[in-house]
Amino acid sequence: MNARLDSFSYDDDIVRKFLWATMIWGLVGFVVGLIIALQLTSPQLNISPFLTFGRLRPLHTNAVIFAFAGNAWFTGMYYSSQRLLKTRMWSDGLSRFHFWGWQAIIVSAALTLPLGFTQSKEYAELEWPIDIAILVVWVALAVNYFMTLAKRRERHIYVSIWFFIASIITVALLHIFNNLAMPAGALKSYSLYAGVQDAFMQWWYGHNAVAFVLTTPFLGLMYYFLPKAADRPVFSYKLSILHFWSLIFIYIWAGPHHLHYTALPEWASTLGMLFSIMLWMPSWGGMVNGLLTLRGAWHKVTEDPILKFFVVAVTAYGMSTFEGPMLSVKSVNALAHYTDWIIAHVHTGTLGWNGFLTFGMVYWLTPRLFQTGMYSKKLMELHFWLGTFGILLYVVAIYSAGATQGLMWRAFDETGRLQYPDFVETVIRLMPMYWVRVAGGSLWIVGMCVGIYNVFRTWASRPARYEVPVIQAAPLSPVYSDDPHAPAGAGLWARFTNASWHRKWERMPLFFSVMTAVAVIVASLFEIIPTFLIKSNVPTISSIKPYSPLELAGRDIYQREGCFNCHSQMIRPFRYETERFGDYSKPGESVYDHPFLWGSRRIGPDLAREGGKFPDLWHVRHMYNPREVTQKSIMPAYPRLQVNIIDFEGIQKHVDAMAMLGVPYGDAVNRAPQMAREQAQQIAAGIEAAGGPKGLQDKEIVAITAYLQRLGRDLKNATAGRAQPPAASQPVALAAPAGSR
Amino acid sequence: MKLSDIMGAANLSAYAEVAMLLFIAAFIVIVITVFSRGRQRTYDAASRMPLDDEHPQTPR
Repeated sequence: MNARLDSFSYDDDIVRKFLWATMIWGLVGFVVGLIIALQLTSPQLNISPFLTFGRLRPLHTNAVIFAFAGNAWFTGMYYSSQRLLKTRMWSDGLSRFHFWGWQAIIVSAALTLPLGFTQSKEYAELEWPIDIAILVVWVALAVNYFMTLAKRRERHIYVSIWFFIASIITVALLHIFNNLAMPAGALKSYSLYAGVQDAFMQWWYGHNAVAFVLTTPFLGLMYYFLPKAADRPVFSYKLSILHFWSLIFIYIWAGPHHLHYTALPEWASTLGMLFSIMLWMPSWGGMVNGLLTLRGAWHKVTEDPILKFFVVAVTAYGMSTFEGPMLSVKSVNALAHYTDWIIAHVHTGTLGWNGFLTFGMVYWLTPRLFQTGMYSKKLMELHFWLGTFGILLYVVAIYSAGATQGLMWRAFDETGRLQYPDFVETVIRLMPMYWVRVAGGSLWIVGMCVGIYNVFRTWASRPARYEVPVIQAAPLSPVYSDDPHAPAGAGLWARFTNASWHRKWERMPLFFSVMTAVAVIVASLFEIIPTFLIKSNVPTISSIKPYSPLELAGRDIYQREGCFNCHSQMIRPFRYETERFGDYSKPGESVYDHPFLWGSRRIGPDLAREGGKFPDLWHVRHMYNPREVTQKSIMPAYPRLQVNIIDFEGIQKHVDAMAMLGVPYGDAVNRAPQMAREQAQQIAAGIEAAGGPKGLQDKEIVAITAYLQRLGRDLKNATAGRAQPPAASQPVALAAPAGSR
Repeated sequence: MKLSDIMGAANLSAYAEVAMLLFIAAFIVIVITVFSRGRQRTYDAASRMPLDDEHPQTPR
């Protein structure tokens, strides 16, 4: 035994901080979720301008992913890593910087998203200054974490830590590359990529954000806290290592399955599908491993609410990772995409897996961190059952909503026409299920409140001063002789299979991290580079022109209001889609779309061919109060668009930013405001002539009308073989009946 | 001539499939390694790491 022992203690204060943040932000995120669920049943709950569905939905997703799940990850990571590495964190200062920085970012998100500042890319909505702040905080975390690894007193690195390392590295990569953008103001930017490339990048990010924020870190937590709570080692350590490597090698490839039947090249989405199916194997290996850890301890599960939470969490992990690959099969995807099915899938994963794993962990940590008995075991049980029934109500209702709407979209009657040509009909059919979701979500939130109360009461009976145990352990010796007990083999094959090389990696955290990063980067490059560089993947269409300055301003409003949260702009090549919305979307159509706005969910109809479907006045009335035009519409009303003044001078900056990204703006680079004014005059005059409100020539409604009337027009005009007049100035008739889609 | 022209002419789309095969190969190597003999002792020690907050399981 080494004679020299270090004395040290673990930093639990940082764990307590993150634990509180997890619970409080969790409640906020869930409540916002309940509000947007209610806005879908009762559109009058949209309070324009700040509290509309389009602005709150990103707030909900960001809050639950990065504030609730993010803080939960850090809670468990700071607690487990110090103990697994037998060392205190390298720098208490950096730990605190990480904590306060992260909370500041969450607050800035909670302010900017309702104010309408957004990059319009799902889960990456935050604008560029906040993105930079995230990067700074993330670097602080990474430095602190890797330095802690370097001074550890445990030779082998436990598999949880592998998951944390991979998550830290990959999140950094995803964040940097998806958020590359050209700033066009203090809180405004345009994605560096356009159309297909942007979509590819976004879903490479979106998919892997799910992987490396909601899956891998939580697997790290599972492999630590499940053995802790069950008081026995994980069933198979080998299986957990295999689980890790297969996620690293396979997960990163699966992004394109989010874009089936879109304008993405065939080979890319097939590749995405193949890899998604391969994910079945390790995911179920992980689930089985988690459940079998409880072998011989099942009697404990009936008594211990913590283990109950864990069992449901691990089962939910298995269910959603079974369903995920299934959804990536193209024919299943065709039905499920754009519907609530995806929402149900996500909530099985997040409520069941992330939520329950977090609660189990929080309840396990609370008495240990606050050094007193848990206030009430009964309330833990109550929370468990409220949560479980909440999840069940939520997902059963929303799965059926998804299937219902998906089937209604594709239904033809016996004469071969769409059975439900009116889109709104497929929406109001969902209302009963939306109400059940509200009930399920409410149960979940009541459960959360019970949980917070329980933790609070436990905290209230904490000792006046926390005990800080002093640990003694020997530092690692600088020279390391390989395991003397390992069977000595001769020859290359024996040396390979007894895997001393792999053990060496595990002992060298930095090298190990580099190898993980290499695997992730190489996979990403092979996935992404072809779309960026092979021209034939995005055929150019000569008739596609950049948006006019006014249309661009309208597009900015479309982004600001979060219209893309409910309206897709991507018609898939199915007859039931083209019958309903028009010709299917081509890759070349969105070459000037910085960022792409294809959307991922249709709560309202697709807008890719919206241009010219309705007269300008229809849009003016519809935006003022959608229910005036379509009685059963659940769209928020945007009366302020008729009041807000267009910032004409500001348009120049936006056009310039676009031009810098390579969009051929020509003359508009010099006189964008003037061009916008002219087009606005023209449209406003047309609206007035048609009997609409007067004096709209400088109001935002004109800009967004111009944008909507432009959508899909370039291709339509080209196929009609006509010269292209400015879309919104075409003579219009008021004949289109309300809701005639 | 732009970079994208050169890359387009090089016709690299087969590389994605090659990369996929490489990844599968690497993955198989890892599977063999993990399940090979001579690691059980380390794994047993490692799997006990979460259960002991005070004593390193794999010192040296």
